[in-house]
Amino acid sequence: MDILEEIKKILAEILDIENHIITPETYLIRKLGAESIDLLELAVAINSRFNIDVNDDEIFLRKLRQYVTEAKQQNNDLLRYLVEKLPFLSRKRLENIIADLEGGPTLKVKDIISYIDFQINNFTVLSVVDV
Amino acid sequence: MDNMHRRVVITSIGVISSLGFTLEEILNNLKDENTSFERFFFDNEVVVSPINGFDIKDFAGHFKDRRYLNRGAQFCVASAIEAVKKAGIDKKLLAEAGLFLGAGPNLDIGGEFPDVKGGEIDRRDLMALWMLKFLPNTAASVIAKLAGIHGENQTLTTACSASLQAIGEAFRKIRDGYIDLAFAGGGDSRLSKSSILAYKKAHALCDGTGKPERAIRPFDRSRNGFVPGEGGAFFLLEDLQHAKKRGAVIYGEICGYGASIDGYSMTAPEPGGIWAERSVNGALREAEFAPSDIDVISSHGTGTLLNDSMEADLIDRVYAKRPPFIIALKSWIGHIAAACGAVELAICLACMKYNYLPRIRNLDEPCHAGLNFVREEQSCPIRNILLENFGFGGQNSALIVRKYDGLQ
Repeated sequence: MDILEEIKKILAEILDIENHIITPETYLIRKLGAESIDLLELAVAINSRFNIDVNDDEIFLRKLRQYVTEAKQQNNDLLRYLVEKLPFLSRKRLENIIADLEGGPTLKVKDIISYIDFQINNFTVLSVVDV
Repeated sequence: MDNMHRRVVITSIGVISSLGFTLEEILNNLKDENTSFERFFFDNEVVVSPINGFDIKDFAGHFKDRRYLNRGAQFCVASAIEAVKKAGIDKKLLAEAGLFLGAGPNLDIGGEFPDVKGGEIDRRDLMALWMLKFLPNTAASVIAKLAGIHGENQTLTTACSASLQAIGEAFRKIRDGYIDLAFAGGGDSRLSKSSILAYKKAHALCDGTGKPERAIRPFDRSRNGFVPGEGGAFFLLEDLQHAKKRGAVIYGEICGYGASIDGYSMTAPEPGGIWAERSVNGALREAEFAPSDIDVISSHGTGTLLNDSMEADLIDRVYAKRPPFIIALKSWIGHIAAACGAVELAICLACMKYNYLPRIRNLDEPCHAGLNFVREEQSCPIRNILLENFGFGGQNSALIVRKYDGLQ
């Protein structure tokens, strides 16, 4: 299954927008104007289409700002802290996110894809272990 | 300013009906007898009057909250946005405007939950906010968000009386000086399998086994029930001076409103029509009209045995001295439930504008002698129309609208 194509379809439906304006680099909140109720619907739709458990806080990076504060308070290296808290995002992407914090909500379509990818692969690994 | 004497006029109309989307289209389709009566796709014994090909996007464009609108709410939003567009008022006035609407319940239970078994409605693709499709004020929230309306708001759910009452309530708020302008109306649709089942079980629908266009027969001896329709209509109501100052087009003036509740039955009207009459007399009193001032009654005229005999008796009592013309618009568009009053007002305004009265369709043998039922279409000047709507649960309302000729 092409995760990007599926996500584009879902987002186009939920936000009532044209499919082609959505790319992996598109900001969900900053650019597409997704509100909290749209994210609620998105989580339900992802759960249904990909048959994976969706943790709203994780997939939508809801606790990102909280992690930043925590890392500062605990004198932790921010990047290392985020790698631990958001394991589905690559190191490179987390670096970008840190650099982009000032610009507003950083959530991009590709972050959603990474989350789904991570969940699907974890699920597969677990299945193999089970067998 | 003496608020006691504020006058309220209609300065924009948005209508989505099976007879058309503008007053002119409505007039032409009345004259050409272009109705949409057809057999219901799922039940051969039922006739409905749908608006085939309706797409809310044609009226309100793309917007994400569309997903939360049931079909009735879609008619509500589409007609409201039409009225907003045609009003031609700026953002500041829109922000001040009130919003009053009549809405019905979403009875499309089967369509919303096609696989429900054992009361288990949860499923993987159930929307997070599926409840919005059932909450009565969802349409109001969407209209306000799309149009930028932020004034006083009420959603009335008083069955088939709801949208006429919404217009009446908005009228009073403006007349009494609480607000200068308000959008008022409603939209509804009960053409789903589940809704039809509901009315069929209540024995409210007419026998639809004959010709579909002959099914609904208000005030005829052989009448045996109503035909469900769908649609919506909204109006901009405005203080007369406010409207004049901005040079608005004036379609008519609202002069009086009355409402009551029977306290009698969950479905049938109180047969003596005592409380329905109170709503009519209330509207006449508020307008400072004598019954003889009314030229035309736009009757509720559902084609059910009980409503029509109660209503004919009522008209006979109130207007004994000078019987006005009686029209029954449900014989043209079916019964649009919570939105019937709003859509019927739009058609009345078309009749008033073009001095035209449509006949009551399928009225072969009137159930009452001595009443002035319009049996043949006619052209005649119309000055004052009284609209009646009497809903399930004994909800009664009446509204008087007068032609505005700019001379008063």
